[in-house]
Amino acid sequence: MQSLLEITDVHKTYRIGPAVVPVLTGANLSVAEGEFVAITGASGSGKSTLLHIAGALDRADTGTVSFKGQALNRMSSGQRHVMRNRSFGFVFQLYHLLPELNVLENVMLPAMVAAPTWMALVRARPRKRQALALLEEFGLVERLHHRPGQLSGGERQRVAIARALINEPAVLLADEPTGNLDPKTGQTILDVLLRLHKDKGQTIILVTHDAQIAALADRTVRLLDGRVQVASQG
Amino acid sequence: MYKLFLCIRYLTRKGIVIFPVLAVWLCVMMLIIVNSIMTGFVNRVRSAGHGLVGDVVVSSISPAGFPDYQQLQKRIDALPQVRASSPVIVALGLLNLPDYEYTKLVVVLGIDPKSQSKVTNFDHGLYWQYKAPLHAVEDIGDQGYPVRQSQLVKRAVAFLNVAEKNEKRLRDGLAMEPIPSSAWFAAIRRHWQVVRREDWQAALHKLDRAQRDLAFITGLPKNGFYKNRAALIKALVPAEPSFTPPPEAAASYASAADEPSNGCIVGVDLGLYEKNRFGQYNRPPGIRFTPAILTVSPITLRATVAQPQAGRFQIVDDSRTRVFTADSRQIYVPFKVLQKLTFMQQQDLLSGGVQPARCSELQIRVKNDASAAAVNQARDAIARVVSAFVHQHPEAQIAGLQTQTWVQEQAQYIKAVDNERNMILFLLGLVSLVVVVVIFLIFYMLVRDKTRDIGIIKAIGGGEWGVASIFLLYGLLISAAGAAPGVLCGVLFVLHDNWIHDHILWRWFGISIWNRKVYIFSHIPDQVTASAVVIMVISAMAAGLLGALLPAIKAARQDPVEALRYE
Ligand SMILES: Nc1ncnc2c1ncn2[C@@H]1O[C@H](COP(=O)(O)OP(=O)(O)OP(=O)(O)O)[C@@H](O)[C@H]1O
Ligand SMILES: [Mg+2]
Repeated sequence: MQSLLEITDVHKTYRIGPAVVPVLTGANLSVAEGEFVAITGASGSGKSTLLHIAGALDRADTGTVSFKGQALNRMSSGQRHVMRNRSFGFVFQLYHLLPELNVLENVMLPAMVAAPTWMALVRARPRKRQALALLEEFGLVERLHHRPGQLSGGERQRVAIARALINEPAVLLADEPTGNLDPKTGQTILDVLLRLHKDKGQTIILVTHDAQIAALADRTVRLLDGRVQVASQG
Repeated sequence: MYKLFLCIRYLTRKGIVIFPVLAVWLCVMMLIIVNSIMTGFVNRVRSAGHGLVGDVVVSSISPAGFPDYQQLQKRIDALPQVRASSPVIVALGLLNLPDYEYTKLVVVLGIDPKSQSKVTNFDHGLYWQYKAPLHAVEDIGDQGYPVRQSQLVKRAVAFLNVAEKNEKRLRDGLAMEPIPSSAWFAAIRRHWQVVRREDWQAALHKLDRAQRDLAFITGLPKNGFYKNRAALIKALVPAEPSFTPPPEAAASYASAADEPSNGCIVGVDLGLYEKNRFGQYNRPPGIRFTPAILTVSPITLRATVAQPQAGRFQIVDDSRTRVFTADSRQIYVPFKVLQKLTFMQQQDLLSGGVQPARCSELQIRVKNDASAAAVNQARDAIARVVSAFVHQHPEAQIAGLQTQTWVQEQAQYIKAVDNERNMILFLLGLVSLVVVVVIFLIFYMLVRDKTRDIGIIKAIGGGEWGVASIFLLYGLLISAAGAAPGVLCGVLFVLHDNWIHDHILWRWFGISIWNRKVYIFSHIPDQVTASAVVIMVISAMAAGLLGALLPAIKAARQDPVEALRYE
């Protein structure tokens, strides 16, 4: 299988004053197109850090991250913004929606960032149609003009997923998307992710510390001592 | 695009932005009001100063004056730039009014009223001799623009209509007891019907005057067209000013022997009159034609003081130039009379020769005097004539002749007001820096508050510049949101400042800031210059940007991973 995202020998160390906290010490991970990979590990093992590095949100100290053969770590910050906008979609544990925008606006925001100013008006309609389609799919059509504060946790997370998908990213990066939800609601979110993976072949990297959730993925890797250990093959 | 979109959302959904918007609003309003009123004030001061001495003044440094001025005047009059000129004698004197037990140190000006009126606005300021309806022209700008007779009629009719509509109420009101000032709330209850006693009197006075004005204006040539205020006033003034007492003056004297042969005109602010809140002078009934004794000290060619000379006069009029320093100490007497009193007339010398007549200065009006360039150009031409004259007249050289434009001549006076305005604007500008600080503080808080949002925006691909520009744009929008109502309120306030002052401050609260007792102008300036408004708006925008700059940089530098950890 051809690899879409290739993380090779990535190191990341945090320094707090004199203390040195090595988080990643030569992590390797390869994700193929259409694959659903789960990353597990103890709290503080560096799962989020790895995910951020994979999605061009953070930089590794050393090592390479290549996406479709391009080295993300050698890109300018401008190019990395574009990558984050077009090729990666992030979903966070705490939803991270903008409280001043309503549901529809939150979902459309990455598409607005993508469009240059002069294109904004031309592209507005198809963009909106796409956002509406996603929200319909996630059962949120009734809540279009509600603000995040008026939604439940599960609804917020579905909005966040819709936002991550609006620009049709190559990779969806989810950092404990169910971590803040009760098991039942969490299951609905997982169903959404599984459906995306099965029906549309969406590449997903999911961070979780729940072995049961990890079992849903094609493949599970485990972070231990700053390195990726292959835990199981789905 | 998303930047503007986010800004608008932040602007409409964040309550705290009301504070910087209000700060910008108030500052823009304040600066527009202060700038307009001060600029209007400066312009009036300048125009009063301009009317005082003509456009160019040739004066001698020596207090004894300079000789052969008629010759110099002839040469200057021959210049194509010159419209008219008038010789003036300046002396120090003591004015004594025996009937009023009044003595005051005065500056005595010897003038020829006819030629003087061609050079300065002397005739416009005379109370008894000036027949023009000041009301109709008072609010015509000093800048000067075409005025038609029909416009004047319209203005006068409008004024008269208002006055007549209120006449009955005013007369009723006058019969009422004045309302005690402590009960101002009672005044509010009775609303507009309630005015103070002096307001009624003043309004009735205005009504009376408006009727006279209208009669006068309708008598003007139908198609009259006046290039500027001065031209209009010229057209409105039919009588030539004169020092000669009219026949009825003789009634004031017991016998013909008592009658002084000469008239004099006193400055209106010499302290003979009381001035009320509306700037109207309360002239004692007998003041006109009252005898006056003027004592002057002639100064010899060797700059010694000769025996004081006294002359008997009779007050025939008073003069208001609107330049306080002039009105509070000048008195005017006929040129020839003062020439004799100061020994400046032509004299036969014992040695056989003739000592030529002298005067202190020549005041000159040039053509196209609204243009500073034309005035300066004329000054240079006159200065050349003067220096040629001085070469042929060594005595004039000793007198030390200088040629100055009115601006140079009154530099101190004009500059003082100009500086005052600049100083006030500068101080208020400093105060307005508060806006920058307010915006900075609010934005600093906002950026901290929005740390997580900044992380999100970066996570979905908004770059450093994108994040920074959100906040910069936000600052601009806040300034615009404050500047727009600020300009509106400021302009409305300035356009109606006289009304606000008289109808709200004074009627309701008994506050009179623009006290006509003190100010030489009866109206608060109420014109706004477009350029000033544009500058204010641009400055407000700049303040918004400046205030938002540091927080925007801070936001742009925010590490998204850190920001997303923030809860
Ligand atoms: N800015 C930072 N400064 C210092 N240490 C940091 C910083 N960010 C992360 N770390 C440390 O790096 C380690 C890995 O953090 P990370 O958030 O990747 O863990 P995680 O596996 O996602 O944990 P969890 O399951 O609790 O989310 C932790 O020990 C954390 O304390
Ligand atoms: Mg984590």
